Amino acid sequence: MRYFYEIPVTAQPGMRVPARVYADDELWEQIGHDRSLAQLKNVATLPGVTGAVYGMPDMHEGYGFPVGGVAAMRLSDGVVSPGGVGYDINCGVRLLVSDLSAEAMRAKLADLVHELARSVPSGAGRSGRLVLTEPELDRVLAEGCRYLVERDFAQSEDIEVIEAHGSLAGADPAAVSARAKTRGHDQLGTLGSGNHFLEVQVVDELCEVTAAHALGLTVGQVTVLIHTGSRGLGHQVCTDYVRLMDEVMPGYGITLPDRELACAPIGSPEGQRYLGAMCAAANFAWSNRQVITHRVRGVFRRFFGAEGALRIAYDVAHNMAKLEQHGGERLCVHRKGATRAFGPSHPETPERYRSVGQPVFIPGSMGTASYVLVGTDEAMGLSFGSACHGAGRRMSRHAAKRTKPGHEVRRELEAQGIVVACPSSGELAEEAPFAYKDVERVVNVVHRAGLARKVARLRPLGVVKG
Amino acid sequence: MGTNAGYNSDMIPNVQVIEHPGEVRLRLRAATPGDLALVAGRALAELELGRAPGPAEGVSREIVVQGRDREAVLVHWLNELIYLAEVDRWVGVEFTVQEATETELRVRARGITVDEAPSRVKAATFHGLRIASVTDGVEADVVLDV
Repeated sequence: MRYFYEIPVTAQPGMRVPARVYADDELWEQIGHDRSLAQLKNVATLPGVTGAVYGMPDMHEGYGFPVGGVAAMRLSDGVVSPGGVGYDINCGVRLLVSDLSAEAMRAKLADLVHELARSVPSGAGRSGRLVLTEPELDRVLAEGCRYLVERDFAQSEDIEVIEAHGSLAGADPAAVSARAKTRGHDQLGTLGSGNHFLEVQVVDELCEVTAAHALGLTVGQVTVLIHTGSRGLGHQVCTDYVRLMDEVMPGYGITLPDRELACAPIGSPEGQRYLGAMCAAANFAWSNRQVITHRVRGVFRRFFGAEGALRIAYDVAHNMAKLEQHGGERLCVHRKGATRAFGPSHPETPERYRSVGQPVFIPGSMGTASYVLVGTDEAMGLSFGSACHGAGRRMSRHAAKRTKPGHEVRRELEAQGIVVACPSSGELAEEAPFAYKDVERVVNVVHRAGLARKVARLRPLGVVKG
Repeated sequence: MGTNAGYNSDMIPNVQVIEHPGEVRLRLRAATPGDLALVAGRALAELELGRAPGPAEGVSREIVVQGRDREAVLVHWLNELIYLAEVDRWVGVEFTVQEATETELRVRARGITVDEAPSRVKAATFHGLRIASVTDGVEADVVLDV
């Protein structure tokens, strides 16, 4: 059975490298329904792109880059593209693990989920309760989660299990516009809207027991998955730099098949400034997930006392451009809706996971399972150390709403015993399980292609929708 | 607001939502490039409010955007409205175009103040952006990040 499809460099004029898509026959057929393959071929035309561009099995049409796209650029002659990172810079996933059993929690589940919804503000633009002064925000942008340890929003051991320790060194708060800071100053600790969520889950099945135990996972245990990003601040950073790069590109002699791929040479003043701003927005996103973690811990403590303690299994980004070493060369790896998936021997894999690999989380949709995987060393040669980031949409938001109204989606989830807290039935319909691809099929392709190994399956018990 | 099922909004004519797997793709039609900004602004308001916008309240404000061509001006215009909605909790619903050139748009706008920032729409993008002349005016496609 095949798990990848290769599009040769000759498929489209201007392609500099081939495109490889990880998919089985059914996913490949679904991917062909939208413009994501055309977008991936466009990415293969970017200056300095090297090796191949990759499409993950959850790939679908985005703007500029496809969602589920990976591309690496040489530092010497390559470009950085804000559209290759996306508007929600460092959108990512964090898994919290408790020692509670789902059985023991069942009686309090509904109250717990609704209290989580009250404690973690959701909805686009809704501000949280933590309002930062300008100097405080600059420290979040510069230091990320390290600053939050000082502010008692994080425990020092949290930092060890966050990608890049929740703090990218290249962050430059001065490269973040006043507009972006205005949008973000009161958004730390908020979920946002769209596909963002907070889910209470139970470990349903262990696929690889040794790795699961290394991650502290056992069957029947309660976990919490947090999916959100850099909120309005990240969106404004992307908006600002797409605009800037669209304006300066002609001066660099860059022409593109899609303006949303707007880019600048990595070493140019604009490229460097964007990377500084992107790193700052990434630090904001990790801090956002950290403040949410702080609030979730507070709710669990109120409900369950010391038994409700939550530790972070890992936190990983899926919208990012990072400078990484691949094959002896330093590259700028863009992952848009794709998760870093480093293997056991990579120096950036946390010490405690060196025997198994970096944890990778693939959320399903409400009502379907999510998966925990670990990265492989061979993925470095297969996908620049990347795996997919979710199930991937197969249906537009409007089509989803036409298919089934939100109140019916809610009723079906509740019939499965899943507690739902969502301010809008319309948005619930947009994110309904049937709007997404089959997560099990997507995960199986990732596993069988060798991008990451399946470790555990998590089943939803309660969902707080952004 | 219309869908690609083939109908347009009664409240906001000349706006269609074209299918996109993750985002919202709008097709806008207007008699002139200046009017295109008006149609785009009204469509955005409907998306942000989740309903047809009611009448504007309060004083007007002047909004000026510039770009390197008319496509960029359209994107920057929508992003300006998105920013004002999130930060000022103000959704523009009535627009008078004062000047529209290839590189600048000057609009006087009145709007609605809302309790919660209605930033369902997070950004306007350049992806698949197209402004073309058609028989009865101009037509534009623009993808919004939601």
